[in-house]
Amino acid sequence: MSTIAGEALAVAPERVRSGQQKISFSWMVWPAVAFVVLMMVFPLVYAAWISLQDASLGTEPRFVGIENYLNLASDPEFLNAFRVTWVLYGAALALQLALGTWLGIVLNGVRVARHLVRTIAITPFMMPPVVVGMMAIVLLDPSVGIVNWLLGTVGVPPLLWLASPRWVLLSVALVDTWQWAPFVGLIVLGGLQSLPASVFEAAEVDGVIGWRRFVYVTLPLLGPTLLTAAVLRSVDLLRFFDLVFIATRGGPGNASTTMNMYAYQQGFEFSRFGHASAAMLTLSAVVLCTVMVFARLRRAVSY
Amino acid sequence: MTPPAARRILGRLQVAAMLVAVLAPLAWMVLSSFKVSRDVMALPPRLIFTPTLDNYRELFLRTDFLHNTWNSLVVALGATLLGLVLGAPAAFAIAWHRTTWPATLTLFARMAPGTLFLLPWFILFSQVDLVGTYTVLILTHGAITVPVALWTLLPYFDALPRALIESAQMDGCRPHAILGRIALPLVAPGLVVAAILCFVFTWNYFLFALALSGFDTKTAIVASFNFIGEGVTNWGALMAAATMIALPPLVLALLVQRHLVSGLSSGAVKG
Repeated sequence: MSTIAGEALAVAPERVRSGQQKISFSWMVWPAVAFVVLMMVFPLVYAAWISLQDASLGTEPRFVGIENYLNLASDPEFLNAFRVTWVLYGAALALQLALGTWLGIVLNGVRVARHLVRTIAITPFMMPPVVVGMMAIVLLDPSVGIVNWLLGTVGVPPLLWLASPRWVLLSVALVDTWQWAPFVGLIVLGGLQSLPASVFEAAEVDGVIGWRRFVYVTLPLLGPTLLTAAVLRSVDLLRFFDLVFIATRGGPGNASTTMNMYAYQQGFEFSRFGHASAAMLTLSAVVLCTVMVFARLRRAVSY
Repeated sequence: MTPPAARRILGRLQVAAMLVAVLAPLAWMVLSSFKVSRDVMALPPRLIFTPTLDNYRELFLRTDFLHNTWNSLVVALGATLLGLVLGAPAAFAIAWHRTTWPATLTLFARMAPGTLFLLPWFILFSQVDLVGTYTVLILTHGAITVPVALWTLLPYFDALPRALIESAQMDGCRPHAILGRIALPLVAPGLVVAAILCFVFTWNYFLFALALSGFDTKTAIVASFNFIGEGVTNWGALMAAATMIALPPLVLALLVQRHLVSGLSSGAVKG
C-alpha cells in the first residue's frame, strides 16, 4: 500500500492535500488478526478435525466421521449435561434479569453517596469466580455454614444447598446471581439514564405511576437494554464452568455437570479427545445459535 | 398513593438491602480470614473475636502462595501488554477504515468455550515443550486480552476527530507516528481502562492456568483451588487466600469504575 501511496504522492501531490488519497492504516490490523487466527481460529479448526476422529490418549487416531456426534446424542451423561446446562441457564438468567432490573431502578433512585453505592455494586463481578466459589463453600456449608444458621433463627430447617442433588442447580444459580445481578443492574441503570425524561413526565401527567408505570412504560422501553444484558449473560451462562468446577465438581453425582464441565472431564480426565471436542463444538454451536436468536430479537424490539 | 416520605423511606430500605446483600458475604470472608479455625466455624457466629494473622502467616510462610501470586502477576501483566500491543493498533485501524470484520472475528472466537481451545493448545504446545512456561500462559491469556483490548478501545478511537488524523497525514506524518504520537496519547484514558480490564480478566481466569501451568508457574488462583481439592478444613487460611486474590482486581476496578460498565458491554452493544 505504501508504494501506491508513494506513487500517488509523486504524481499528484495536490490530490493528497485535498484528502482524496487516504492514508492507509490497514496493516495495523494484521498482527492482531494473525494472533486471533493462530491462537483461536486454527485451534477451533483443529478441534473440529479431532472431533471427527476416534482419538484418545495412547491410541492411534482413526477417522470416524460424525460418529462422535452420534455417540453424544445417545450418551445419557451428555444428555444430562445438556439438561443441566439449560436448567441452570434458565434459572440464573431469570433471577439475574429480574434482580438486575430491580437493582437498576434502585440505583437510579440513589441520591446520597451515589458514587459509593455504584462502586459497591461493581465489586461482586470483579471478583474471581474461584473466590466466589470458596465463599459459597464456606457460607453454604450444611452443618457449620452461617446461611443455614441465619435461616435457622427464623425457623427454616437446614438446607443441603450445594450437597443436594435436587437443589444444587438453584444454589449455584443463586451464587452466580449474587455475582452478576449487579452487572445487569448497572447496564439497566445505563439504559434508564438514556431514556427521555419527557416520556416519564407524560406518563405522570396521564396518571400512570407506580407499578403501572413500570409495566407499561419503563419495562417496554428497557427492552433493548435487557436483551443486551441477556446476550452478555447468555454467553457466560451457557458455558458455565468455573463455579461448578470449584464448588461442586459437577456433583453431587452429575447433578451439576454442565456441558462445559462434561467436555472438560471427557477431554482432560478421561482423555477422550475426539468425544470431548465434539461436545465442545456442540456447545459452541448452542452458544452461537442463542446469541443469534437474541440479536434477531433485539433488532425486532429496537425503537 | 404513597406519601413522598414513605416512598423515600422505602427507597432507602431497598438501597440498604442491596448493600447488605453485596457486602455481607465479603465482610464474612475478610473477617473469617482474621479468625482462628475454632472461631470461623463457631455458631452462633462470633462477631467479637481476637483477630489473628495466623492464617496469613500460614499462607505465606507454609505454602508457596507468595510465589504463586508472583506468577499470577507475571502472567496478567504479560497478557495485558500483549493485548494492548496487538489490540490498540488494530482498534485504531478498524475505527479509521470502518472495516469491522476483524472485530467481528475476534468476537465470534471469544464466544467459543475456553475448553475448546484448551485441548488443541495442550496438544500443540506439548509438542514444542512449552506447557508449563510463562510463554504459553501469556500467549493463551492473550486470547482473552486481545479481544478485550480491541473492543474496549474501539469507541475511544472512533471518537477521535478524523480531521486531526488527516491533517497530520498532510503534514507528512507516517502512519506509525500518527498512531504513536497523536492517536494513542489522545485515547490514554481508554488505554487505562483497557489495561485494567485485561489485567483483571487474566488475573481472574482459571481454566487456562489450571491446565497449562506447571509446578513453578502455578498461579494464585490455581493454587488456592488446590487448597480446596486437598480438603483443607482450615477455613481461615482458605478465606485469607480468597481475600488476597480478590484484592488486586477490586482495587483496580474501583479506580476505573465509572468507565467499567460501558467497557464491559461495548462488545455486545456494537456487535
